[in-house]
Amino acid sequence: MATTMHNMERDRDDRFVVIHPLDDLPETKVDIEGLGPMPMTAGVRMALFSLRAYLVLMTVLVLYHVLDLAKVFG
Amino acid sequence: MSNKFVTAPASVLDPRIEPARGRSVKSKWARDVLTFLMVFGPGLIVMVADNDAGAVSTYSQAGAQYGTRLLWLVLLLLPVTYFIQEMVVRLGIATGKGHAAMIYQRFGRWWGLFSLIDLELVNFLTLVTEFAAIDLALTKLGVDPRIGIPVAAAGLVLIAFTGSYRRWERTVVLLCLLDLAWFAVAFRLRPPAGELVRGALVPGVPAGGITADLMFLVIAIVGTTIAPWQLFFQQSCIADKRLRFSDLKWARLDTLLGACVTVTVAGCMMIAGSASLAHGFRFTDPAQMALDLGTAAGGFFRHAMLLLMVNAAVLGTTAISLSSAWAYGEVRGWAHSLQLPVREAPGFYAVYLACVAAAAGLVLIPGAPLQLIILGVQVLAGVMLPSAIIFLQLLLNDRELLGEFANKPWNNVVNWTIIIVLFALSLILAAQVAAPKLFPGA
Repeated sequence: MATTMHNMERDRDDRFVVIHPLDDLPETKVDIEGLGPMPMTAGVRMALFSLRAYLVLMTVLVLYHVLDLAKVFG
Repeated sequence: MSNKFVTAPASVLDPRIEPARGRSVKSKWARDVLTFLMVFGPGLIVMVADNDAGAVSTYSQAGAQYGTRLLWLVLLLLPVTYFIQEMVVRLGIATGKGHAAMIYQRFGRWWGLFSLIDLELVNFLTLVTEFAAIDLALTKLGVDPRIGIPVAAAGLVLIAFTGSYRRWERTVVLLCLLDLAWFAVAFRLRPPAGELVRGALVPGVPAGGITADLMFLVIAIVGTTIAPWQLFFQQSCIADKRLRFSDLKWARLDTLLGACVTVTVAGCMMIAGSASLAHGFRFTDPAQMALDLGTAAGGFFRHAMLLLMVNAAVLGTTAISLSSAWAYGEVRGWAHSLQLPVREAPGFYAVYLACVAAAAGLVLIPGAPLQLIILGVQVLAGVMLPSAIIFLQLLLNDRELLGEFANKPWNNVVNWTIIIVLFALSLILAAQVAAPKLFPGA
């Protein structure tokens, strides 16, 4: 499908009209404000917390490794 | 209940409304080409900007240490990077919002804040490495970095502060096309064809086996090829460009094309590194590699590689700074668009300016171990990537949000496989750090 429905069918002059997204009028998107937060089970919530802890730990480990390579610890 | 999608713009829903500008063409073929050219941009930019200064360093170091033996890994990352960015394309087109805004909306403020902090931290460290690379390359080119770096920073600010998304995009696409000069470099320095084909198509471990250095480099390669800022950048870019549902096919093609370019250019960088190995040069950083190879390939290639290094850093800087500025603007609820003049989006432009100025300023302070910082940042990005992709994966499975644009089962199989591999790599890194003797030394 091309940029607009204008492109789907030829106009009277037997030509297609192509419009740049920034020149076109805004289209209706998904209404995310109306949806609110995503419903999550306790399991998913726990998994995300574990992920956060893992990430913090890994960041510290990478920092240690880089400092070690830089011979900061002798 | 799923959201209802309106799959046509307002101009179609109400025939009395005529869009401001359009191009009239005769054939379907011309229509498709023109439409693609109008949609084209975010996919190419995100992928080519991913081959930033850190990437030049990591790929050329991989080549300098292991020749072409890791080319297969880069090739393997082509579908991986495409599948991940394609999800962002769908999310951006369906919602018209950036990634940071989506995490805030759907996971709440706490998770949104953590994701933002992660992003801004890694982005800033990466920006420092971009300017460090510019510093290094300019020094080797005989330009005083105290002049060259502020000039580069001013140029980076100017291209974004025009108040026109299109002007910024055209400038950056031009810089992306300059990156194709890596093909000429690789052609000049290429190893025998058989070695290239074997390196690219036969997965294997380089001579010496699995060592700590190899594992660190593999994680760095993965971390530089797929970085968290890319998710935020492309989605915000798509939202800023106001891509429509009907543009999805072309945005996917743009992303695929970008992925092919970035992976082949990455291969070219590795080939340059392998030429350095073949000539017996000791790799310290890519700028030194350019000087060394200049003695073998000629002064033109020396200058070309140094300028390509600067170009890679400039591309990386504009994309990463924008991903920070867009994300911050989305979360703070500020106006955040390249289409707006500075006076209408002061916060957004201020973040961009602060990112560029602070990173450039830091680099002018002498004494930073450049190569180590670059490698460390790539590894950190690799470590943070799985968690960023998990949020993306959860969002793409949110049928309430995305309806028909949500992941299909095969998407999930591919994505969970990618996530598992990424987690495994970061666990290996953790094990390697906790028990340094786990893998033999180099």
